[in-house]
Amino acid sequence: MTFNNTHIIRKILLTIFILSIVLILSILFGISFGSTGHSLHDIISVILHRQDSNPMISTIVWDIRFPRVILSILTGGALALGGLVFQAILRNPLAEPYILGISGGSAIGAIIGILTGLSGFPGINITSFTGGILTLFIILLLTPYYSYERNNTLLLSGVMINALFAAVIMFLISTIQDSRLHTILFWLMGDLSNTTMSQTFFLFFILLPCFIVIFMLSRHMNLLLMGEETAQTMGTPVKKIIIILLIVTSLMISSTVCNAGLIGFVGLVIPHVLRIILGPDHRVLVPASILGGASFLALCDIIARALPVHTELPIGVITAMIGAPVFIFLLQRDRT
Amino acid sequence: MIKSMILKKNCKFFIICATGLLILSILNSNSPAEIYTDQAGRQINIPARPQRIISLAPSITEIICAIGCFPLLKGVTQYSDYPDEVNNLPKTGSYIHLDIERIIALKPDLCIAIKDGNPKLLVTRLDKLKIPVYVINPKNIQEVMKTLHELGNILDAADKAAEVVSDMQTRLDRIKKIIANTDKRPGVFIQIGISPIVSAGSDTFLNELINLAGGCNMAKGNNPYPRFNREKILVMKPDIIIITSMARNYIFKKAKAEWARWPSIPAVKNDRIFLVDSNLVDRPTPRLIQGLEILVRLIHPELF
Repeated sequence: MTFNNTHIIRKILLTIFILSIVLILSILFGISFGSTGHSLHDIISVILHRQDSNPMISTIVWDIRFPRVILSILTGGALALGGLVFQAILRNPLAEPYILGISGGSAIGAIIGILTGLSGFPGINITSFTGGILTLFIILLLTPYYSYERNNTLLLSGVMINALFAAVIMFLISTIQDSRLHTILFWLMGDLSNTTMSQTFFLFFILLPCFIVIFMLSRHMNLLLMGEETAQTMGTPVKKIIIILLIVTSLMISSTVCNAGLIGFVGLVIPHVLRIILGPDHRVLVPASILGGASFLALCDIIARALPVHTELPIGVITAMIGAPVFIFLLQRDRT
Repeated sequence: MIKSMILKKNCKFFIICATGLLILSILNSNSPAEIYTDQAGRQINIPARPQRIISLAPSITEIICAIGCFPLLKGVTQYSDYPDEVNNLPKTGSYIHLDIERIIALKPDLCIAIKDGNPKLLVTRLDKLKIPVYVINPKNIQEVMKTLHELGNILDAADKAAEVVSDMQTRLDRIKKIIANTDKRPGVFIQIGISPIVSAGSDTFLNELINLAGGCNMAKGNNPYPRFNREKILVMKPDIIIITSMARNYIFKKAKAEWARWPSIPAVKNDRIFLVDSNLVDRPTPRLIQGLEILVRLIHPELF
C-alpha cells in the first residue's frame, strides 16, 4: 500500500513537472506573439524588467498580452477539468460542460445581464452563475436518481436543454435590436480579447479553490467510475460527492463563460488525450487536465490571433474545429 | 585639484540637468492639455494640437479628412475607404473589434470614437491605458455639423471645419427650397438588407434624408432596423424602392429581378427601384448631403 502511494505521488509530481514546463513555454510563446511584431530580445528585456526596456512594448506585453494569456490558461484549465469531472460522474466519455448545457445556461444568464445594463463586473458574473446553476438544477430535476441506467437520460436532457438555450439566445438576439449585439455575437464564439488584469485576478481566486476541492475528491472520482453501488460499499457518500462536484464545476464553468464566452470541446479533447497517455487515475488526471487544458487553450488562442491578417478569429472556432472531429472519432470508436 | 574636478563635474551635471528641465518646461508650455467634454458627456484631457490621431470608425476617418487633418491621422479601422489616401494607413482592427495592441504601438495622442459603434468596454480600456478618447455621437445632420465644429476646434482646423459646414448648409438650404415647391410625399421603402429584407426606422440618418428629400419613409417606427417580409411590402405599396447597399451591381440586379415578380407594387410597375451607395446615406459625414442630393433627384425627378 505504501509502495503504491509513493508510486502515485511520484507519478503526480512528474506529470505536474512536465506539463508545467509545457505551460510555461506556451505562456512565453503567447506573450511574445501579437498583432504588432517585436523582437524576442525586446520582449525578454520587458519581462525581466531591464532598464533598457521600451515602455510601449512594456504596456503591450503587460496590459494587453499578459492578461489575455492568463485568461486563456485559466479558462482552458477550468474547461478541461469540467469535462473530466462530468465524464467521471456520468461515466460517459462524451460528457462535457458545453454539451450538457451548463455553458449555454451561463451564457443566457450573462446575456440577460448585459441587456439589462448591468456592469461587466460583478453584475454579469452573478447572472451568469445563476444561469449555470439553474441549468444544473433543471438537469438534476429531470433525472432524480443517479443510477447507471439513467446516465444517458442525463446526457440527453443536457443536449436538449442546450438546444433550447441556443434557441433562447437567438430569440433574445433577434428581438432586441441593440448596438451591443455585435459584441454578444463575438462573445458567443469565445472572445478573450477584452480582458484586464483585475478581471483575471478575480477569476483566479474563484477557480483556485474549485481546483483544490476537485483534486481532494479525485480519489472518490476513481471509485465513482467503478459504479455507484461499488463506490457506496467502498465508503464513498456518492450522492453528496456528486452534488459537490456538480456545483463546484458549474461555478467554475459559469465564471469562465462570462469572462471568455462560449468555448466548446476543450473538456472533451484534453481529458481524452491525457487518459490515453496517463491512464485512468483521477489523482493524476485532475492536475494534468488543468495544466494540459491551460496549455491547449493558450496555443489555440495564438492560432486565433495569428491566422487572419487584420482581425482575429473567435477562439471557439478553433477549439470546435479541433474538438468536433475528436468527438466524432470517439463516437465511432465506442460503437465498434 | 581633485576637489576642483569634482566641482567641475558637479557643475556640468547641474548644467545638463538645468537644460533638460528648461527643454521639458518649454515642451510642456507648448502643448498644455485642455479639458474637453465629449458627446458622451465624458471629461477628457486632450493635448493642444494633437499630432497622432487614430480614427476608430470609417465615418470619423471621413470627417477628419474633410476638415483637412489627414496628415494627423496615423491609423484607421477596417472599412475606412474614403477618401482614397486613407487606404494606405495602418489598420487597427474593425470598429467593433479594435486591435488595442496595434493602437498602443501607433502611440496616438488622441483617439476618436463613435458612441453607436465602438463598444463602451473598449473605450474604457483605452482610458485605462491613458490614451485620450474623444467620443462623438451625432444623431442627425445638425449634429454632424456640430461634430465637425468640435473636431475642428480640437484639431486646430476650425476654419476649414466652418467652411465645410457652411457648404453643407448652403446645399441643404437649396434642397429645402426645391422641396418647398411640392406637396407630394411619395412613399419610399428603403431596403438596406436584401435577404432578409431590412429597412431603416425613424431613428436613422436614412429616415432624416428621406424626409428632407420630400419622401415618406414607409418603415418609420421605433425599431431602427425593422425586418420585413414581401407580404407586408405588397400591402404598403411603396412608390419608390431604394436599395442602399455596398452590394455590387449584380446583387442589385438580382434584388431588382426579385421585385419584378410583384407588379402590383407601384415602384415595380413604374420601374422606380434604385441603387444608392450606402456609404453616402448611413455614415454621419459631410457626404450625407451628397446622398441627400441623389435621393431628391430619385424621389422628385419632376422638380429638376
